[in-house]
Amino acid sequence: MNRARLSLRFRVSAAFGLGLLVVVSVLSAATWHLATGYLLNQRQQSADRHSRINARLVDNEVRTQTDGLGELLSGLTSGPNSTILVSLPGGWHTAGRPVRPEALPSGLLSRARPGAPAHDRFTADGVPVLAVAQPLATATGFYVELHPLLGLERTFRNLRLILVAGTLACGLFGVALGAWAARRALRPLAAFTETAARIARGDMRARLPEQAGPDLAPLAETFNSTADALEQRVRRDARFAADVSHELRSPLTTMTTVAEVLERRRDAMPAPAQKALQLLLAELHRFRGMVLDLLEIAAVDQADNGEERELVDLGPLVRSGVASSPAPHPTLDLAPEPLLVAADRRRLDRVLANLLDNAARYGGGAVRVAAHARNGVVRLEVDDAGEGVPAELRERIFERFSRGLHAGRRDPDSGTGLGLAIVADHVYRHDGRVWAEARPGGGARSSWNSPKRAADAVLSRLPDRAARPGNCRCRVRS
Amino acid sequence: MTVRVLLVEDDALISEALSLALADQGCMVTQAACGEDALSMLDSVSVDVVLLDLMLPGMDGLAVCRELRVRGDLPVIVITARADSQDVIAGLEAGADDYVTKPLVAGELAARVRALLRRAAPVRRCCLQVGDLLLSTHDETVSRNGSPIRLTRTEFRLLAELAAAEGEVVTREQLLHRIWGRDYFGGTRLLDVHIRRLRRKVEPDPDCPHLVLTVRGIGYRAKPQQ
Repeated sequence: MNRARLSLRFRVSAAFGLGLLVVVSVLSAATWHLATGYLLNQRQQSADRHSRINARLVDNEVRTQTDGLGELLSGLTSGPNSTILVSLPGGWHTAGRPVRPEALPSGLLSRARPGAPAHDRFTADGVPVLAVAQPLATATGFYVELHPLLGLERTFRNLRLILVAGTLACGLFGVALGAWAARRALRPLAAFTETAARIARGDMRARLPEQAGPDLAPLAETFNSTADALEQRVRRDARFAADVSHELRSPLTTMTTVAEVLERRRDAMPAPAQKALQLLLAELHRFRGMVLDLLEIAAVDQADNGEERELVDLGPLVRSGVASSPAPHPTLDLAPEPLLVAADRRRLDRVLANLLDNAARYGGGAVRVAAHARNGVVRLEVDDAGEGVPAELRERIFERFSRGLHAGRRDPDSGTGLGLAIVADHVYRHDGRVWAEARPGGGARSSWNSPKRAADAVLSRLPDRAARPGNCRCRVRS
Repeated sequence: MTVRVLLVEDDALISEALSLALADQGCMVTQAACGEDALSMLDSVSVDVVLLDLMLPGMDGLAVCRELRVRGDLPVIVITARADSQDVIAGLEAGADDYVTKPLVAGELAARVRALLRRAAPVRRCCLQVGDLLLSTHDETVSRNGSPIRLTRTEFRLLAELAAAEGEVVTREQLLHRIWGRDYFGGTRLLDVHIRRLRRKVEPDPDCPHLVLTVRGIGYRAKPQQ
């Protein structure tokens, strides 16, 4: 289970490292065996030649029976670490570095045959030696020579060090190679992730760049065609809503027009007809508002070609918007300097109007409208002194047909449930952010942040209902 | 005064209902179901204003609008699909004086018609001047160095409002209210396109205006007299 959680990159690295380690270990072991075997063999052969000649000299000496055996043996030793032992019926004769005959490996002498010397490697008093034993030809006895292997051992040690270090280094290199290869292979996935996230955020036009590699090309192709299908689907749905709204306009025009004619004759009607007409008119009014809002949203869903953008000064726009609003006029808190945003003026008007309308409808009317620029962002705030928006509804109120606490309420004054959704759509289209928050001192505030020119923001405060009764503020931020 | 209206609308139900409602508001309505009918009717019937649906079978509403402009400066109100669509701009560019959007309200439409037919701004002087343009308010004509420039009534009223302010700024709201009887909302394109149309007719270089000047974020002003 842990393995499943390990990242692919880690697993690829580990596989590369282990694989390389195994391969290089096998190679190193083979190298070790071949090299040491060869070197030992060479050493043994030279030791054999050496010992054969020496044994013959000892044989001659023993045959002539002179007393120079000890001297001869001393002369035959080839270095301070070499030892010669000769076993004669009279006992052992040794020369060179003193080694007791008992230290010789058991079985060495018994294996020695004339013409076929016996060999053995062992450590005699701390010195690695190669023992060569052969029987003497003239007497019952053996000639044993211990050749020191200090140099050979040193070579072996170095070789071992190099092989082990090399193997480990190769393992590490394998890990690094695996990490690099995995990162390189996974790099396109980062682009995939980013693109998928953009689509999830609502950017239906996000697509993957075409992949040159044959491995990822099919994935990118599939991804892009899926995104195409999704975009078409979303557009088709949006177009359907737009088409329905468009189709509703004609009958609605006829109905409202005829209802107006009736209304002008209201006084001539009996009371029940008057009441019925009143209901009809109220419903038609709501219906018309809803169709207009739906058309507005349908327009938002269509691609923005940016043609409608112009530099708009938010100050005068707010002043005009507030002055044109039927609600009681709130306090204006506007920055003295021009607040220029690149925006579609009509949409900005609509944002402000809807925020003011929302404040009037649910928050007792806007009490303060502010517009300021801060850190390259223009912020518009609309405050009301109503009961505020509960924290858990502050995001939902910007969804279509969501009416916060007033869901389910239907009377002549209730809204269509689309006003704040239109605000959110327009603000989103201007790369802004809109949010609701509790207003310090009570009521709700909605604020809208919008990039100023290229990177500023406008923000409007919208009245909104918040958690503490009588003390909240709603902010719509774009 | 009875206003004579030519209603060009292909939807028979809407046409009937609007005729009924406009008649109720004191208008005399003549109905036409397509552009060709409307244009031929105008030869025999005299009307004060044309209500023109842009979506017509056969001859396109925009083409009808342009043809009306070629014939004269009969006020035209177009009925467009949407307030924000290119329809509004296209209709105004084609020469319409105002627009209404579906679903429309007859009372509002009647108000549009009345605003359009109102006399030009309270006349303080019979002659106004902007740069080298001479405006005569009693017959609503403009001339430059003696040669007349053809403006529609709405264009003339716009220019006259600016000229009457003698170089002072006239806000967008004031212009929208005085000329179209509209409040601030929804009038943006209306004013922008009319200013553009006006500049094309009176400015030597419309891209670099020096007679009708923009005061960004506030409104417009005419070139002050020396």
